[in-house]
Amino acid sequence: MLPLIFIICACAFGLWICWPKVGLLARRTQARLLAARSQREDVLKHVLKCEVNKQPPTINSVAGVLGVTPNRAADLLSGMEQRGLISHQDGCLHLRPSGRELAMHVVRAHRLWESYLADQTGVAEAQWHPQAERQEHLLSPQQTEALAAQLGHPLRDPHGDAIPAAGEELKSDVGQSLNTASLNVPLLIGHIEDEPEAIFAQLSALGLRPGMKACVTGKSEGEVRLWADGREYKLSPILANNIAVVPLPEVRAEDLFGEEFLDRLKTGERARVVALSPACRGPERRRLLDLGFVPGTIVEVEMTSPLNDPVAYRVRGSVVALRSEQARLIQIAREVTVPATA
Amino acid sequence: MITSSSTPESVAQAEEILREAQRWRQQIPGDLHEHVVEAIYSQAARLASRAVTRPGLAAQPTLDRTIDRIVTSRMWGFPIMLLLFALMFWLTISGSNVPSGLLASLLVDQLYPMLREGATSVGFPWWLRGVLVDGMYLATAWVVSVMLPPMAIFFPMFTLLEDFGYLPRVAFNLDHLFKKAGAHGKQSMTTMMGFGCNAAGVVATRIIDSPRERLIAIITNNFALCNGRWPTQFLIATLFIGSLVPAHWAGLVSAGAVTGVAALGIGFTLLSAWALSRTVLKGEVSTFSLELPPYRPPRIWQTLYTSLIDRTMFVLWRAIVFALPAGAVIWLSANIHVGGNSIAEHLVGGLDPVALFVGLNGVILLAYIVAIPANEIIIPTILMLTVMVTGSHEVGQGAGVMFELDSDQAVKSLLTAGGWTTLTAVNLMLFSLLHNPCSTTIYTIYKETGSARWAALAALLPLGMGFLVTFLVAQIWRFFS
Amino acid sequence: MNTPATTTLPAHETCASCSVYRAANLKKLGVNMARWDYVVALAGNPNTGKSTVFNALTGLRQHTGNWPGKTVMRAEGGFDYDGKRFKMVDLPGTYSLLSTSLDEQIARDFILFGQPDVTIVVADATRLERNLNLVLQVLEITDRAVVCLNLMDEARRHGLQVDERQLARDLGVPVVPTAARRGEGLPELLQTIRDVATGKTVCRPQRLEQEPPALQPALASLLARLKAAYPNLPNARWVAMRLLAGDDHLAKALRSGELGTLTNHAQLAPVATS
Repeated sequence: MLPLIFIICACAFGLWICWPKVGLLARRTQARLLAARSQREDVLKHVLKCEVNKQPPTINSVAGVLGVTPNRAADLLSGMEQRGLISHQDGCLHLRPSGRELAMHVVRAHRLWESYLADQTGVAEAQWHPQAERQEHLLSPQQTEALAAQLGHPLRDPHGDAIPAAGEELKSDVGQSLNTASLNVPLLIGHIEDEPEAIFAQLSALGLRPGMKACVTGKSEGEVRLWADGREYKLSPILANNIAVVPLPEVRAEDLFGEEFLDRLKTGERARVVALSPACRGPERRRLLDLGFVPGTIVEVEMTSPLNDPVAYRVRGSVVALRSEQARLIQIAREVTVPATA
Repeated sequence: MITSSSTPESVAQAEEILREAQRWRQQIPGDLHEHVVEAIYSQAARLASRAVTRPGLAAQPTLDRTIDRIVTSRMWGFPIMLLLFALMFWLTISGSNVPSGLLASLLVDQLYPMLREGATSVGFPWWLRGVLVDGMYLATAWVVSVMLPPMAIFFPMFTLLEDFGYLPRVAFNLDHLFKKAGAHGKQSMTTMMGFGCNAAGVVATRIIDSPRERLIAIITNNFALCNGRWPTQFLIATLFIGSLVPAHWAGLVSAGAVTGVAALGIGFTLLSAWALSRTVLKGEVSTFSLELPPYRPPRIWQTLYTSLIDRTMFVLWRAIVFALPAGAVIWLSANIHVGGNSIAEHLVGGLDPVALFVGLNGVILLAYIVAIPANEIIIPTILMLTVMVTGSHEVGQGAGVMFELDSDQAVKSLLTAGGWTTLTAVNLMLFSLLHNPCSTTIYTIYKETGSARWAALAALLPLGMGFLVTFLVAQIWRFFS
Repeated sequence: MNTPATTTLPAHETCASCSVYRAANLKKLGVNMARWDYVVALAGNPNTGKSTVFNALTGLRQHTGNWPGKTVMRAEGGFDYDGKRFKMVDLPGTYSLLSTSLDEQIARDFILFGQPDVTIVVADATRLERNLNLVLQVLEITDRAVVCLNLMDEARRHGLQVDERQLARDLGVPVVPTAARRGEGLPELLQTIRDVATGKTVCRPQRLEQEPPALQPALASLLARLKAAYPNLPNARWVAMRLLAGDDHLAKALRSGELGTLTNHAQLAPVATS
């Protein structure tokens, strides 16, 4: 009896280890293959980004990005050269066509996945980049296309980076660091760098988003004061360094300071919707527009919830309740005389 | 029909059009959706201003506005909410006493002995008579007499409130709490739906787009007392909580107890949403936009009719369908003897140590196992098991205990004979709020999430909380008494 | 499904008092639809009484209540009017048809690809402006629409006067004022549905007057191509707009040639009784 049980157990154990596809060995192999592929794709992404930003990618920079020794990086790169993904000339790495295609796919998948997390899930902002770092290696080109369609083909990811269309060139990063911006010049936040994570988490917790109109109101040792979308932010230079801005010559600084948002409106007050902040994106933006919060609409505060937070607004004849996080994305202008159109 | 489809030429043409669309898409300044909606709304505004006129001064729905300002005011918002629900519960409790007694005297006191005698006289063997009359019929009779009156009063009132448009205001008032708990704003609406039926509430979570918040809403929906559980709450509150105070306060106090349990349900919803959104379903609160519809005076008769058909009869029918086999099973388990004791006694005896430890009893736990298919049959199952297991070994005579008494008090004296205390009653009310959802709901959760793991979590989380809470209450109770 | 919200028991004795019941040639068919002559789609904003209209015409009992977003699933039912059998499809209540969300996609695709013989848009008379947003979008997709101006009783209570004739002239489709909860206007609605389905009433819907300026060059160019490829496409501008928005289903229909068959069917439809 005992030997029989032993044999059965041994067989079961053997199967558990060797079963194709789901067995322990098969899984180990799959995981190893995935890890190797991820590493190759990360190298390609790095080379592509360096190329776009006009920095020379080298073995050392690759080793730095992957967190491996230069020797290991050199091994990896020679393997990739054999696969025909990259070429090595004059101490500098170049993408071969198949490598470029793969790199573009990975960048596209990454940015689309971030858009998906931002628009359609409640995943915390700090998690977008790390999750996309994993997912970019798992999505097939078909899945990526389906995702793009599901999201309505977004043009920019939540960090403000352009999502390259399939078969399109990657655009270089735009803008200067907020630290170098001059005082009282209207700016557009073009990009918020998502690495390192801790810095990005702080910036996103403050509510700063690409697309916001901003203006540096003061600089001192260890502090940058920033005016953006109707409120003032105090940032340490290390935070400010991760915000890339471009000047907005067509906007006047006075207008910027005069901007007001819906969450400031009190019960019984009326205002006209001027615009929806670019920070409001995806389905959230569409829903607000569909409910009638389009530029030019007269909005009136109808009532406030007992705990102060959702506030109900009368808009185009119906009453819609919004949380304050959303109301602060709607830019308004108060008008002394409001035409009676309610 | 001429089909131009799928010639190589047309495919090329289609690809060309798609490429062009993509090219333009990159060039359009700003948000395409915004451009379109803006154009449509400006035309809508023009058309509406041509078609709609407001003769006279009744420019604004001032009555609506006044009501809204009151029911959502900082001072009165929450008290009105609680009072309104307490009022409904009070009307239900005080209104269902008399009809319940009448139904019981008709179905149990008069019809039941007649059926027994009839079965005997046409020569049914004792076991067939037992399964059919003592088991199936009696279970059904109790379902009808205990559940029909409260449902027939409560559901129409709830439907009237629903038709009037008050529920979105409740959602509006509560939303801040849901936001703090990390849940979606629309979850307050699906919770309201769960007060009718949890399976329906789970399906209704489809209105939540974000998968994380939707899962939270699905898992916590069970904390909204459903149709099948209201009658248990009403009955136990009336029997045990109301009787603690002088008679003229009884109705109010028991209504207060039910309100408390329902509010506690909301509390547990928030608590578990908070816990989930900080552990397995980490994430941030997403958006909330809820339209508050204008109040509409309910169409009273229509509402009464549809709520009777849709809700009352539906729930009653479901209860009867499940009570019939359950009655047979209970009778059999009480009459098949293994080693001197009946199966039911073995089971109850086995469950008793655990159950008494958490301030319940073996009968209640067994009833909750029998009632997994439908919460509606909890009360009848408890009654039958109590009669059969504790009343007497002779089932016929055991059930006979019931004949002499024909009101709720009969039920109480029976339960007290079964060893029930106020603690048992309080813990039963809590356990009725906090236990696994019925099998229909679990299956619906499985279908909606497509995952057995989430379904299992949704079933086990409330059950675990139920044992924990009843245990704590029992300990505290015993410590003080 | 045994949930109260979704029970659909046929009830022939319901609501014997309402006037639609007295329209002698109406037979409610509940869900017992084996074959039908016409397909009627029911669209509308959430909480406009769509389910009430659906129930009144089919005799089914979709759960109704005064809150938005209650009908999450698509329901089907039928009725027999004047000897013709109509299949009625209750679409999810939506504020718009432009988004990527599932309910809007279901509604949009059914109206475009399902090619209902009549699309009823239920609009709330007390919140007309917001409801016209959806009406105008539906009219971009289909010619054969009827606007059911519901909750007229509530509009009266709020002191609003809605001139349905003016609205019908402006929209170019029939507008029927109703108070579905009281059964008011339902006989007229039935008649109008039949007239539009049989082609007795021909709709000439007013389409969007002003194209969004930012889209004009893109729309013009795409429209020219679409018209060249599908000269009979009745809703070319809508198709162009959706292609610009990257609507995947529409792109698929374009690739597979289904878009071409839409054209033909739409032309034959006035005489066909499939």
